Amino acid sequence: MSEIPHLLLVDDERSIREPLAQYLTKQGFRVTQAGDAESARARLNAYAIDLVVLDIMMPGEDGLSLCRHIRETSETPVILLTARSEETDRIVGLEMGADDYVVKPFSPRELAARIKVVLRRWSAGGAKQHGPETGSFAFAGWVLRTGERTLVDREGVSVPLSTGEYNLLHALVTRPRQVLTRDQLLDLTQGREAAAFDRAIDNQVSRLRKKIEPDPKNPSIIKTVWGGGYTLAAEVTRL
Amino acid sequence: MRRFLPTSLIARIALLVAAALFVAQAINFGLLLHERQKARFALVIVPATTRLADAAERLLALQREAPLQPGAAKNRFLSDPRTHVRLHAENPFAGETEHRRPDVERDLRRGLEDAGLRAGAIMAALRPVNPKRLLDPKLDPLRAERLRRMGAEMLVAVELPGKGWLTLATPWPRTDLDLIWQLAAQTLILYVVVLVPVLLVGGRIARPLRTLTDAARTFRPGDDTAPIRERGPSDVRALIAAYNALSRRVTSMLDEKDRMLGAIGHDLRTPLQALRVRIESVEDEDDRARMVDTVDEMSRTLDDILSLARLGRPSEPNTDVDLGALVDAVVEDFRDLDHDVTFEEPERLKMRLRPTLMRRAVRNLIENAVKYGGGAEVRLIPAGERVTIEVCDRGPGIPPDKLEAVFNPFTRLEQSRNRDTGGIGLGLALARAIVNDAGGTIALVNRDGGGLIATITLPR
Repeated sequence: MSEIPHLLLVDDERSIREPLAQYLTKQGFRVTQAGDAESARARLNAYAIDLVVLDIMMPGEDGLSLCRHIRETSETPVILLTARSEETDRIVGLEMGADDYVVKPFSPRELAARIKVVLRRWSAGGAKQHGPETGSFAFAGWVLRTGERTLVDREGVSVPLSTGEYNLLHALVTRPRQVLTRDQLLDLTQGREAAAFDRAIDNQVSRLRKKIEPDPKNPSIIKTVWGGGYTLAAEVTRL
Repeated sequence: MRRFLPTSLIARIALLVAAALFVAQAINFGLLLHERQKARFALVIVPATTRLADAAERLLALQREAPLQPGAAKNRFLSDPRTHVRLHAENPFAGETEHRRPDVERDLRRGLEDAGLRAGAIMAALRPVNPKRLLDPKLDPLRAERLRRMGAEMLVAVELPGKGWLTLATPWPRTDLDLIWQLAAQTLILYVVVLVPVLLVGGRIARPLRTLTDAARTFRPGDDTAPIRERGPSDVRALIAAYNALSRRVTSMLDEKDRMLGAIGHDLRTPLQALRVRIESVEDEDDRARMVDTVDEMSRTLDDILSLARLGRPSEPNTDVDLGALVDAVVEDFRDLDHDVTFEEPERLKMRLRPTLMRRAVRNLIENAVKYGGGAEVRLIPAGERVTIEVCDRGPGIPPDKLEAVFNPFTRLEQSRNRDTGGIGLGLALARAIVNDAGGTIALVNRDGGGLIATITLPR
């Protein structure tokens, strides 16, 4: 990877693509644009692209099909742009190996932040598996589905989580057996959603424990590390 | 009376056929009875009158020959074994009044008059055959056989004025009972022969109709059920074909609507997104924040409109959800934004519903409470067959005459509510549509001491 990350921005709408490219350039990325899947393929072949930002809804060959193509031919990370009503598309996209998504109308700042997170993870190496934060995670009898953002218990009953609880659990589940400090958790959970929530992490953790621990007073899944923070003590399996 | 009539097609047909068969059988019965009566007249009454007339004539002739010897006449008369006619001074059957047959008496009188005999009183009575009498060795075996076959005998007494009574006993067919049995058996056989095929054929007609009814009742556009197989008689087949075509049309119209809404949504969202991107280049922090708010608001409104329009065919499947956790998650989202919302987390409450939509309905109610009442108390009350979610606030409430109207889309109470609070009055309409879709109801009540209680009631 060169010093400046090279992004490929694929969106059929010029009115979005061009100002967005401008904004991302200002944020320190090199941006190449494509208006349809075909020219996107050409750009992918012509340049060493570090990350693709891909609109799902495009006339002609759509974003999902292009995403599949990228996944089959390279390891370039992909971030999807979706609308709220395209939830099924989003789930399919994530299952296909997209690394993250933002929901329209999204804040360009949030998109830039997500791009940085995915690139950081990518350049840190090791993460050769795509979409390490997406898909389904099984732990201690629970399944966290990131596509639908739901937690499902052993009997298949889903237990809805608030945005804050979901973000916290997601951060823990994707980093099992790592000790995460309160600051790290605050960072990780606030990065995901624009909705600011500034309640203490401790509070969220105790709420989560009430929901998922067999005995909340004596937690066995989310453990407190004295002087450090929290860690997910259970075995996590990606489904 | 009406409610005892069967309502289903097949039952009505069967009833009609049964009634028609019964009427036909009754007419048959009447005709048969009439025929039997004529036959009886020919077989029994005619010979009886002949014998009586003959006996009377001989009696008169004898009396003319020897008017002073009634005993001789009687002896000669009695000695004739073939006719079984006897002469008595008094009516020996006067006690047998139980089974008198006026119709036979009438026929006899007519017969005797035709033979030119002027009779006084006539009496005819039916007497069942006593089985012991049949064993009497003096009885002629032929006659015994006839008596047994017929089962009864007719006793006839005719008064010859001034001369005594002529009596006659003749075997009489106990036809009526036999006839009724015979007819009952016949009717039963007829019912079996006719009604069984009617019921079978009716069932063949009714089954596809029932399938069709079920399909029409459970019709949900877009759930991709296969068209109903066309079977049964041709008119039923035509009906099924017409229904299939209708459901295809409805589905395609709704598909068209979805495509249109999708296009509208896409076409409106795109400029909003473009605006949202460009806002980042605005230097002034306050301006930028306000513009972002406006764009977000518009986008939420757009989402609400599209959801409301699409609600007839939700894309989200029903899943098992812990309703307590669902309400709790919504409440928690509000608390994370520093709103004063209280909720006592209940026991686990498993329900089958569309979680994202239900979350939205609950969110809309709490949003209103927060917006107009500054906070909300949320309660989840499981009660037997139903579950109630209550969202209470201490806001200004709603005038009683508007409590229903606020559920209509685009209704806002401008006079009492500030336009700055945003929204275009879709929140409650959407909530109601979602709750109704889940088979529940939603209601608003003004609260004692000020404020409003919004209630969602769901079947368990």
